Amino acid sequence: MALKKDVYKEFESVVGEENICDDPAIMPAYYSNKFAAVILPGNTAEVQAVVKLCNKHKLVFRPICTGWSGMFPPDIILMDLRRMNHIIEINEKNMYAVVEPYVISSQLQAELFKRGLNFCIKGAGTNCTAMLRGHGHMDQTTSGDDRNHLAIEWVTPEGDIVRSGALGSSDEWFCGDGPGPSIRSILTSAVPPGVTPGVFTKAAVKLYHWPGPSEFPIAGHSPKYVLSEIPANMMARYYSFPSVEKMWQAEIGLGEAEVCYELMGFNAAMVAANITTCNEEDEAMFNRLNKEVQGPGFFVIIAGNSPADFAYKKKVLEKIVEEAGGKSLKTLEDPELEGIIMCQCIRISASIRETFRPGGAFNSIPIMGQRDLTIKWAIGAGEAKKPLIEKGLIVDDGGAFFGWGVEQGHLGKTEIFCKYSPSNPTAKAAVETWQREQNRRAFEERYFASTMGPQDEIGPALCNYSQWWSKVVKALDPNGVSPEGGSLV
Amino acid sequence: MGLEQYKGDMEMCCRCSACKFIPMQKVKGHQYAYVCPSISRYNFHAYSAGGRLNIGAAMLKDGMKYTDKLLDIVYNCQLCGACGVSCNYAMDMEVLEPINEFRIKCVEDKKTHPALDKIIANLKKQGSMIPGAKGKRGAWAAGLKIKDATKEKVDVLYHVGCLTSYDKNLQKLAKATAKILQKAGVNFGIAGDAEMCCGGRAYQMGYPKEFLNQAKKNMAMIKKAGVKTVVTSCADGYQAFKVLYDRFDLKGELKVLHISEYIDKLIRDGKLKPRRKVEMAATYHDPCRLGRLGEPWVHWEGKKIPGDRFVFDPPKPYRRGANGVYEPPRDVLKAIPGLKFTEMTRIKEYSWCCGAGGGVIESNPEFAKWTARERIEEAVSTGAEALVTACPWCEKIFNEAIKESGSSLKVYDIVELVEKAI
Amino acid sequence: MIAKEKLVKIVGAANVSDKPAALDEYSSDISFVNPVRPTWVVKPKNTDAVQKLIKLANKTQTPLVPVSSGPPHFRGDTVPGIGGAVIVDLSGMKKIIFVDRARRVAMIEPGVTYGELIPAAAKEGIRINMPLLPRKTKTVVGSMLEREPVTMPKYQWDISDPLACIEVIFGNGNEFRTGQAAGPGTVKEQWAVGGIQKAPYGPGIASWHRLIQGSQGTMGIVTWASMRCELLPSLEEPFVVSSSDLDTLLDMTSWLIRLRMVNECFILNGTNMAAIFAKKWPKDYQAIKDTLPAWTLFYNLAGYEYYPEERISSYITDISQITRRLGVESVKSVGGVSANEILKAVQQPSPEPYWKLRYKGACEDVYLLTIHDKLESLIGEMNDLADKAGYPASDMGIYIQPIVQGTGYHCEFNLFYDPANSSESNRVKELSAAAVKGLMAKGAFFSRPYGENAGMILNRDAATIGVLNKLKGLFDPNNVMNPGKICF
Repeated sequence: MALKKDVYKEFESVVGEENICDDPAIMPAYYSNKFAAVILPGNTAEVQAVVKLCNKHKLVFRPICTGWSGMFPPDIILMDLRRMNHIIEINEKNMYAVVEPYVISSQLQAELFKRGLNFCIKGAGTNCTAMLRGHGHMDQTTSGDDRNHLAIEWVTPEGDIVRSGALGSSDEWFCGDGPGPSIRSILTSAVPPGVTPGVFTKAAVKLYHWPGPSEFPIAGHSPKYVLSEIPANMMARYYSFPSVEKMWQAEIGLGEAEVCYELMGFNAAMVAANITTCNEEDEAMFNRLNKEVQGPGFFVIIAGNSPADFAYKKKVLEKIVEEAGGKSLKTLEDPELEGIIMCQCIRISASIRETFRPGGAFNSIPIMGQRDLTIKWAIGAGEAKKPLIEKGLIVDDGGAFFGWGVEQGHLGKTEIFCKYSPSNPTAKAAVETWQREQNRRAFEERYFASTMGPQDEIGPALCNYSQWWSKVVKALDPNGVSPEGGSLV
Repeated sequence: MGLEQYKGDMEMCCRCSACKFIPMQKVKGHQYAYVCPSISRYNFHAYSAGGRLNIGAAMLKDGMKYTDKLLDIVYNCQLCGACGVSCNYAMDMEVLEPINEFRIKCVEDKKTHPALDKIIANLKKQGSMIPGAKGKRGAWAAGLKIKDATKEKVDVLYHVGCLTSYDKNLQKLAKATAKILQKAGVNFGIAGDAEMCCGGRAYQMGYPKEFLNQAKKNMAMIKKAGVKTVVTSCADGYQAFKVLYDRFDLKGELKVLHISEYIDKLIRDGKLKPRRKVEMAATYHDPCRLGRLGEPWVHWEGKKIPGDRFVFDPPKPYRRGANGVYEPPRDVLKAIPGLKFTEMTRIKEYSWCCGAGGGVIESNPEFAKWTARERIEEAVSTGAEALVTACPWCEKIFNEAIKESGSSLKVYDIVELVEKAI
Repeated sequence: MIAKEKLVKIVGAANVSDKPAALDEYSSDISFVNPVRPTWVVKPKNTDAVQKLIKLANKTQTPLVPVSSGPPHFRGDTVPGIGGAVIVDLSGMKKIIFVDRARRVAMIEPGVTYGELIPAAAKEGIRINMPLLPRKTKTVVGSMLEREPVTMPKYQWDISDPLACIEVIFGNGNEFRTGQAAGPGTVKEQWAVGGIQKAPYGPGIASWHRLIQGSQGTMGIVTWASMRCELLPSLEEPFVVSSSDLDTLLDMTSWLIRLRMVNECFILNGTNMAAIFAKKWPKDYQAIKDTLPAWTLFYNLAGYEYYPEERISSYITDISQITRRLGVESVKSVGGVSANEILKAVQQPSPEPYWKLRYKGACEDVYLLTIHDKLESLIGEMNDLADKAGYPASDMGIYIQPIVQGTGYHCEFNLFYDPANSSESNRVKELSAAAVKGLMAKGAFFSRPYGENAGMILNRDAATIGVLNKLKGLFDPNNVMNPGKICF
């Protein structure tokens, strides 16, 4: 449903003629629904004005960043935050950076590397917003989930500007909590945001020391970029183990020893996807690696702050791996492949090659929290994938899952994919059934509850959190203009 | 088949936005991270490659009305191919082809752009891309004692191209090229007034029939003249002869070289010696159709292997930009004494477009100049005094943008600098 | 007023009191908040009793004031804000529910003190990231809920650390478990499958524990909490660095933390060094103060299971490059106080008498959060304000704690005073209010607004108050939970 002309004019007066459009031609680029209009605000004040107009006219809005995911009801005002793409501040002494929603992780990371800093690159990839909440390859060092945000500037669903923590009181971004109870409690969704109603217009993210080079020495052409040399203080290896138990022994040991810059519980299929440039190469490499590994494994990057630190970390790594019966994957000891995967994991965050390329689509069950517990569950979920593989419905990855320790093994993340062809409805249906069944098993056996499951069952089993959240949303959004619609990337 | 053949590719777009940026490993900071001029200028996702594929898929699925906005999206794209390189870093799918095909569909459906219609009408009438061009095509060569390849036996046909032939400000490039080839003792000639447009830009504009018409005429002329090697000094001409003619099975055994490749070879063979100093800090702009889109066409026929994985038998060779012409022009510049060479951030397969391609210089000169200004700013940021390119269309749009912006940056074609150095 | 029998029914007669002495104990504290006498003190022993108390309070519109730590209290948060209140004293809930070495986590009830948890955790090989020398009666849960800064910033990834999950009875009487503890299933069912209550976020997208932290009991009452623990080192090597130049020490601190080389790490001024480490009073106190440079940075290197000597040795080498660049020296003792002595002290609660009371019998703390570049000017401002108030700046203790892996600093001014001396006491009271006002004007952030100054602090951020009030209205609709605190 199109906006009335006078209403359209009101929005237009906020963002200018060039930055609003209701032509049906632009809609499919965003989603399968038609929107009342797509609006490109350029700053917080414009976001606020747009939100206020939405309240005035009772129009539902949703914001997006790069627009990778999300669900959008029809006839809404879609706020594309593309024009809000500035790095506001990089504070080296206090280790935080402030960004607008459309700064992508790759941009921020490149700026940070110049300053010997890094931040949590989410698994969605460096092509996504730097403000995104989530997990990624380097969580061992850079934490994950909701734990990297400091202060956030938030336009509430009613159009108020709330600046959390120190920002609201003293114009500083270093702290997002207080005075008193922390409103980070409700400002922790994916941005811009996905589920918290309203719009995040700026956020401070925590930074971490980066011991690597200010710029990787990359040679070659896309799609095969290689490192002309592996930095002297860095090393990447893949270790496989005789059993899941042994792998876990090494993983937690390395976490406790605080020696890994990255510890990524890749399976052989994901390693193959990352180091190859096309699907045919990928398949051949997977077959090769599958023969080479002795069982489940993980990929690690060691990075020393000094030669002594590097030597120490390497020694501990080797000792812990040896104690667990780990075996280094020889293929990955080739410096060319070592460099490729090092860059894939640090600068790309892998993602697309291992998710979309093989089959065209994937469904996933991601679980954050207690790694040893979720591994136990994931073994069963992996077994349940095998019949689908045998029937040729999903890409053969050996039925494997993946995951990694977060904050040196204090927390963790486990995830399992099924990759399939989006144009094969039988495959899609089979994968959805697998997803439902494995979520149900997790729930019934008390491993975890996917909050994406049926709320009437899951909500009560999780202290009625969904009812509480609905109340929070209602209090913040009395006009119901900022609906939920899944997380946004 | 038209757009339909790319249905699967278009549906595979996962909206990851990689097409908007240079490959992630190559991002060096906040600046110069974008690679697609269209999304950078117009911001709505529809102007990105991903958006265009989503629109294409929607057109096939539900049919879409041709609105002014849709045509604005379609024609405000230089078809520079940078999106495809960035996407194909990780994905196995066609990107530029369906975008070009959508434009072809628009033309077939008579949803043309008036400015491009005018160009094509002139092409049909005069055989050039320069409406209103006065004088004869080969007039620039008067007195230069250049052989007429249609009449004399030559080893190399120098295909000058429409813009260089007719544009008074750019004829110097043709003269410089001729001088270089003469100096190196190459037995070359031109087709003079008989030279015709390569047709490459017509293809970009969405007019494949007109392109094929030109291609056939050119190849007939070449066959008749018995020429084995064509050298072009225009990146569009290079891509037309080398890639498009091959794609449509017209090229045969013809060897096609860009002048930068040929000069590089002449220097290596010791036939050309740049001895004079050209004191200048310069950076190089990779023309899209010499660089990423200049990689050879690989003929392929195959089938998807049934089953889980998206794999083909034989493996499908996607055009990912790895085999374009990148080093020869750089080697030539590095061979010029006194020239201090610096690189910009966006180079080679992920180079930012000059803005002139895809008919944009004609259909939306302001957007073309905006795109050029972005590149000029990037060139200036390197500390370079001069921006060197290897295509007259780049030089033309850069100079127009500089004239308006007042930048002190100088623009040269690579042949101009080589001419100074020999 | 709530009838005694109703309380007795819930917690038993032995755990209900309205004796004047008992009521007086809770009617005031060392802070300058106005004394308000509660009507009852109740001591529940389990979650069920807490929930019943809250439900009863809702029915009878009775204010509840939760307290977990024993006296002396310092911040006014446990003194009723209004009359007719019932003190809910949780200090009797002392179960250490579990200590899990493998997952580095422990779960305890709210009455457990540091002195009680430390040995229990150590037995399993782990320990908690502690605040600096808490008083003996201070509970671990109380401290975590107050977002008290901790001495090992390297292990404080998030300001909410080390708190993991909590069980809370909201102000409306509903029970809720945060993070991983929420479910599915009961906590015991989770244990049965190998689950432990550690992941703090969720359920859903919210981080519910953050709403309870910093709320001073205004949202609900916590009946147990779990917390992440750190491994006990197998080898430790502490150092001190003294300097008159704070900026140099801050620079050094930020690199030590950035490179994650140090565990315990903080800076004290001479007054606090003396206040904490003087053995014989007043002789030692003055001697330490006289000997020490203005600032002392303490840091501790640690090794764990694998090659601890090599690890520490590589850190020492790397740190020596930093100290050389900055022109300072890491040593093993300063002013007669050894690094080992400091380490030993800060891994335990304060010995009695509590270090903040030893000098003059009372202490008013003014503490703020700030960034590196503002810290020195804020300290300068505080010195000026002290001068203006006639409080000798040299008597003021200063404790600087890097927080959240170096993203900020907690800066605490300890104003020691003699509570029996009314003019000194008044001077400190006035200075405290002037300090909050003056430091805020200079950009200090007061993230934990207590007592008299809370209103002034919160008034700077109306937008946040607006949101907090909406949330408060949901979780404690009848405003029975500690009314009169923060902005509620």
